[in-house]
Amino acid sequence: MGSGYTLVICEKPDAARRVSGALSGGDFRSELVDGTTVFRFARNREDFVVCSAQGHVYGVSDPAKERSVYPVFDVEWYSSDLVDEDSASAARRIAAVRKLAAGASKFVNACDFDVEGETIGFNLLRYACGGREGVALRARFSTLTQEDLVKAFDDLRPQEGQGLARAGRARHAIDFVWGVNLSRALSQSALGSGHRYRTVSVGRVQGPTLGFLVEREREIREFVPLPYWKVVGTFDRGGRKFNADYSKPKVEERALARQVREECLGKEAVATMVRKSIARMGPPVPFNIGDLQKEAYRAFGYSPSRTLQVVERLYLGALISYPRTGSQRLPPSINYRQILQGIGRAREYSVFVAELLKSEPKPVQGAKSDPAHPAIHPTGERPSSPLDSAESTLLDLVTRRFLAAFGPSARRELVDVTLGVGEHEFRIGGGRTLFQGWMRYLGKFAGYRDAEPPEISEGDRFNVVDVLVDQKFEQRPPRYNQSSLLERMESEVIGTKATRADTISTLVEREYVSGGSMEVTDLGLSVVETMAKYAPSIISTQLTREIEEKLEAVEGGVEGGAALLRETVRSVAGQVAELSANEEAVGREIDSALMATVAKAFVLGRCPVCKTGELRVIRSKRTKKRFVGCSNYPNGCRASAPLPQRGTVKPTPRICEHCSWPIVQIMGGRRPWRLCVDPRCPGKGKP
Amino acid sequence: MKCLICGRETSGDLCKYHLAAKAKVDEAYPKWVKAFGGIEWKEYLDNVKRNVQTGQWAKEIAEFLQSG
Repeated sequence: MGSGYTLVICEKPDAARRVSGALSGGDFRSELVDGTTVFRFARNREDFVVCSAQGHVYGVSDPAKERSVYPVFDVEWYSSDLVDEDSASAARRIAAVRKLAAGASKFVNACDFDVEGETIGFNLLRYACGGREGVALRARFSTLTQEDLVKAFDDLRPQEGQGLARAGRARHAIDFVWGVNLSRALSQSALGSGHRYRTVSVGRVQGPTLGFLVEREREIREFVPLPYWKVVGTFDRGGRKFNADYSKPKVEERALARQVREECLGKEAVATMVRKSIARMGPPVPFNIGDLQKEAYRAFGYSPSRTLQVVERLYLGALISYPRTGSQRLPPSINYRQILQGIGRAREYSVFVAELLKSEPKPVQGAKSDPAHPAIHPTGERPSSPLDSAESTLLDLVTRRFLAAFGPSARRELVDVTLGVGEHEFRIGGGRTLFQGWMRYLGKFAGYRDAEPPEISEGDRFNVVDVLVDQKFEQRPPRYNQSSLLERMESEVIGTKATRADTISTLVEREYVSGGSMEVTDLGLSVVETMAKYAPSIISTQLTREIEEKLEAVEGGVEGGAALLRETVRSVAGQVAELSANEEAVGREIDSALMATVAKAFVLGRCPVCKTGELRVIRSKRTKKRFVGCSNYPNGCRASAPLPQRGTVKPTPRICEHCSWPIVQIMGGRRPWRLCVDPRCPGKGKP
Repeated sequence: MKCLICGRETSGDLCKYHLAAKAKVDEAYPKWVKAFGGIEWKEYLDNVKRNVQTGQWAKEIAEFLQSG
């Protein structure tokens, strides 16, 4: 093929292969251009070359790229390999696109239709294709199925306004200016305290999110539980016994709880009220990405970032629609019947689909919409290669939720019984499913259990057999988990559906929180406290939310990105100046927290040999190998143990039941594993 | 100055975290007295210290007050 071909730019290599396969009917050939695979084929007597980015191949940086210099407010776009060491292939891909652009007469942006995809396509068209962003056509699709892709390329449109790309570029620039200046100010302050360089970052969304965690952490660590008493009555009629809770769930004084017991024991109870009601329960709305991430965490314990990675693979395999969507709505244009028929080819869903296709399928719709993409839904296509466990689990979840959206309402009978004993009242509640409706399609994910109370009618009398008074303590507030934190970010409108999961992962990577329990470390506490003292608006949700709203206005073409960037620069400059003026004090605070956090990461627990020292992870100066040793070594304690030399060693609160040595978690490889560090542990080898 | 419990920089004996925790321990005592119909301060501190629901800083304060 000579000059004059159509150059198609996709976001990822897998998408490029799918686009090529769909448009050529499988008749395409691949070749290497500058070490990058591209695809060539002819369609309707037109030559096509399909190339791809690998996510962002351009990134924002400052011209100096010197981490000790701040403030920096001049930002430029560079090939990502110059900005981020992990993006080594970016230059190769840009070179390939540049070479191919020279022979192209027409350009098509076929990146994902959202802020990030638009930005990726815009940057390649502008910088690698010689300023073709204004003339390129747009292919818009929400699934990578052959039908959708062919339809998208039969309906290529001129780029509309480029609001999404402008907003994306503004977001990258704002986040860079924000993050780089504040992070450098913090890192340099810590460096000034005499320790080696360590990145102490605080991003635009990261700051307020860490603020939520610290607020909760303080509540937890200051918590003093108050006692209360739970009173439960046991009732009997004709030998059939059942329990009912006292009407006040928490009795705050022991004397009052005992008084209830004394006044009820040996008395007769009367059913003073029996209320039965039928609740109609509509099906759950279709998944947007936030709802899917929360449900995957609840059902399988998957972190939001893991869920996002898995569903992206399902999308690239054309098994589900584009996942980074805020929509909870399924428009008829996706062709419900065709998707259901596709799903019905799988044996486990065939009965459900047959039921749904007896009438015209119509799904329930949620309140949230997204102009770019519908709610996440299966395409009905079968996997072309075996799925891994997480992929098949999430595909099943997405499929069942899709089926449930078309299902009839469920009906549950709810029962509420009040038993009177003199002046006291006891209650029993329960519910049972009368008609499963959509719950059948959702299966184990439906989440409703039947708890039927005994058959009781008003006026029935019972003997009070026993009254149990149980002392309890209030529970401290729960820590956020990755799912509830995501929910808080959504409700506070900070971050985007595409970036929230990454923000949470960054907090873990920076050691501001521990990964499993989301417990805030000393460093996390210190960063928030320092910010609160010297740059309070950085951790306030208000400023971040305002910027988010203005970015939406840029997306819609109402505002330009440049004005917003200037506004951000002004705001950040003031905060950075304040941090800089207090560099010494900031450095002291951050540095001591850094040391405490690092030290804590190496402490495994109390030494079981000397009982006073701490077992720590130590690296031998001579062999460079790590092992466990006691802090009391200078005083004569010789407790020591070898450690695996690969993977990350994480302390756990657990002590080995056989030898009382600490149990550690080794992270790395396919999955983390636990290990008692005592090589002589009698429990070794036992199941 | 350094916090007598955790060594954080402070202008008094206790850092702001432990001061806040002390306020919570003080505030909860009359509620425990009312709940149990009377409990000695030392016994209260001992219970707070041993309770699994008590937060880390509140536990440290209870221990600190016991030893003081």
